[in-house]
Amino acid sequence: MTNVFGQLRDFAIGAALALLIATIAFVAVRNKELAERQLDLSTRAAIAMASGRALPDVHAVLVSTPTPSAKHPYLRQRRIFDGESWRPLVAGSHAEAKLIYDAANRFDQLPFPYGLPFSSGFSELLRDGTGRAVTVVPARTPGAQLAIAVTPEVPPAPYPLLVVIGLLGLGAALSAAGALASGANGRVARAGTVFAISVLAIPCVLWQAWIATTLVLLVAGAIALAQSARVTDRVASGIRIHRVALSFLAPAAIPMLVLVAAPFVIGLVLGFYDHHHGSWAYVGLHNFGEILSGGGRALDDPLNFWFIFGVTVLWTVANVAFHVAIGVTLALLLSRTWLRGKGVFRMLFILPWAVPNYITALIWKGMFDSEYGALNQLLDSFGLDSVSWFSSWATSFSANVITNTWLGFPFMMVVALGALETIPKEIYEAADVDGASPWQRFRHITLPHLRPSLGPAVALGSIWTFNQFNVIYLVSAGAPGGSTNILVTDAYRWAFERGERYGMAAAYATIIFGILLLWTVFGARIVRRKDDES
Amino acid sequence: MRSQRPRLILTILTYAALIVLVAVVLYPVLLVCKKAFEPGRQFAISASPIPTDLTLDHFGELFTTRGGNGELLFLRHALNSIIVALLTTVVGVSLSCTAAYALSRFRFPGRKTGLTMFLVVQMFPATLLLLPLYVILNKLNLLNSISGLVLVYSTTAIPFCVWTLKGYFDSLPRELEEAARIDGASPWMIFRKIILPLSRPALAVTGLFSFMTAWNEFIMASTFMTNQTRYTLPVLIQSTVTEFSADWGLFAAGAVVTSLPVMIAFYVLQKYLVGGLTAGAVKG
Repeated sequence: MTNVFGQLRDFAIGAALALLIATIAFVAVRNKELAERQLDLSTRAAIAMASGRALPDVHAVLVSTPTPSAKHPYLRQRRIFDGESWRPLVAGSHAEAKLIYDAANRFDQLPFPYGLPFSSGFSELLRDGTGRAVTVVPARTPGAQLAIAVTPEVPPAPYPLLVVIGLLGLGAALSAAGALASGANGRVARAGTVFAISVLAIPCVLWQAWIATTLVLLVAGAIALAQSARVTDRVASGIRIHRVALSFLAPAAIPMLVLVAAPFVIGLVLGFYDHHHGSWAYVGLHNFGEILSGGGRALDDPLNFWFIFGVTVLWTVANVAFHVAIGVTLALLLSRTWLRGKGVFRMLFILPWAVPNYITALIWKGMFDSEYGALNQLLDSFGLDSVSWFSSWATSFSANVITNTWLGFPFMMVVALGALETIPKEIYEAADVDGASPWQRFRHITLPHLRPSLGPAVALGSIWTFNQFNVIYLVSAGAPGGSTNILVTDAYRWAFERGERYGMAAAYATIIFGILLLWTVFGARIVRRKDDES
Repeated sequence: MRSQRPRLILTILTYAALIVLVAVVLYPVLLVCKKAFEPGRQFAISASPIPTDLTLDHFGELFTTRGGNGELLFLRHALNSIIVALLTTVVGVSLSCTAAYALSRFRFPGRKTGLTMFLVVQMFPATLLLLPLYVILNKLNLLNSISGLVLVYSTTAIPFCVWTLKGYFDSLPRELEEAARIDGASPWMIFRKIILPLSRPALAVTGLFSFMTAWNEFIMASTFMTNQTRYTLPVLIQSTVTEFSADWGLFAAGAVVTSLPVMIAFYVLQKYLVGGLTAGAVKG
């Protein structure tokens, strides 16, 4: 006889997974059926209204062509006929006035099919969660341009809770029976597990959700396999032994899984879809292909991925180099033993780190303004020509780098200061006795001591700079013509500023993540090897 | 000799270099302070950081502008920011302190992986998660909601908090805990009665960091909050200087009011910030 508790535990895990799959299938099927029914209803109602008949339960109206308003000619007015009389369509006159007005305007913007002087209309589900569908068709009644029908709201279909509870009970009974009837080798117990979990595939079959059915059956098989390899037993005992540690870890781990791992997976998946005008379509590797091939654009086109990648690398290298150079120089200056007012200098040099970086970015944007910017005023007062900073690539890119250098060097300075403090004075004294030159002292004493802390700081700093969104987005905003964008700002623009191409943005994000992963794995190795050498 | 006074010329050069660099560092900040108290909407009439004319009009405008529903906008946004930042602090710190303790004191399979994960996630650009988070928050009806923003910010803050707190817990002696265990205290009691009271400084630093994360964050707030009454301060401040209408006076006043509190807090606690970050990077 196999352990009944263990058997039920494994059933619970499998059932939870199967239930999740079945529920997703239920939601998908329900939405699909609902959408089909609503679209069908609104289409029939709109076609009926087009010839002047109203169907019960569906709100349908005839709409006139737009005429310029008497008071404000730029506003276009429409009139509607709702079965009784013609009246103007104005905000608030009608429960769905705004909806109808927008739908009519969209109709006017649709392309005409070949051979027709007008569009054939459209039918779609509203994306506001009410389950309403709207259909617009050209009208055949005199005086009316088109007919619009809006279906009433429908409540979502109820979840078949009782059926699910019944099936779970049946499954539990089956799995327990399997355990009780099982001999020493536990073959009957495995069969019980498979049957018990497979019970949940029944509703999936009824909903004709074949993918879900297959997945549930696979889960059943996988759990049974895990059982016979004693994987489930071992995991369970591991959890029991480390339950205190796990319970301490859970409060942070669970939200991280939900809000970092889940978006991450979703982001990976979205990269395989294309989003256009509110609808998603699976396109496979197309987005990645388009990005990595440069989308057929020339290499110096600011929208070409490789161009942006080049700019990003240049941006990262330039910034980190300046951060380290300035930070280390300042740290060396500040570590002179005879220097007075060290604390004050240190406080002042840390200032850029304390200012919120979006404010820094906006301040510098103002300073680079070609007309009222302080920098051009400064140049002016020295008798130099003012520069139109954001109209050429070189000056625009420099503006970004200057801003980011200003806000980023204090971190490196503080890290370097910390490292310099750890160098024992005796080493320098010994070097002085041996007659070492200042350069030799720097090269053979200071630098090796800086490396262990500067290495990780550079790795971290390069990742921060690679992802420095705020500076690029707020200072140059990609000007001129998007040529100073870096990868993260360009990905953002695909999602939120170029017609909601979410799929492209997600593919971009995936590629960026890949680059960073390679950099952290190999970059970290390079840094570490250098440490070992020194 | 190094400790002796070097040649005069070197001294003068060093001080000159430091003073020039201080001027470069201070200049933008002084310009903004000047702009906040100087009339006019343009960024600069002259390059001098000393105002020629003093006024409090920008602050007046900032504090008295009303939104569509008659609300005082700045106070509304400041309140939003304070609520979001405080909630983020509470949620972020309380969730991460137990995890940091587990990672510091217990040995269990997957501990190293967990630590590395917390580090890698810290390097994750928030912009990459923006789009999926937007889709998820939209589905959960959490766009334009304070709780949505708090959730997102807390998860951004957790990895850093975990690393910093773990570093601090590592430095606490274990004898106290062992003594308590012999006396029969449960792990939870040890954590609550011994570890937490000893860790007040570390909790303060991680709290400050969580607060600053939420207080300074701009892009998520401006993407997730489209309703003006839900804006946080960064979104408000950015909206004063858009491409089409820029009021740099208003911007400067807002920037001064928003930055001062975090700058003060930063100066008080700055020495702990670097330690936490690089310790995490070195050990990972």
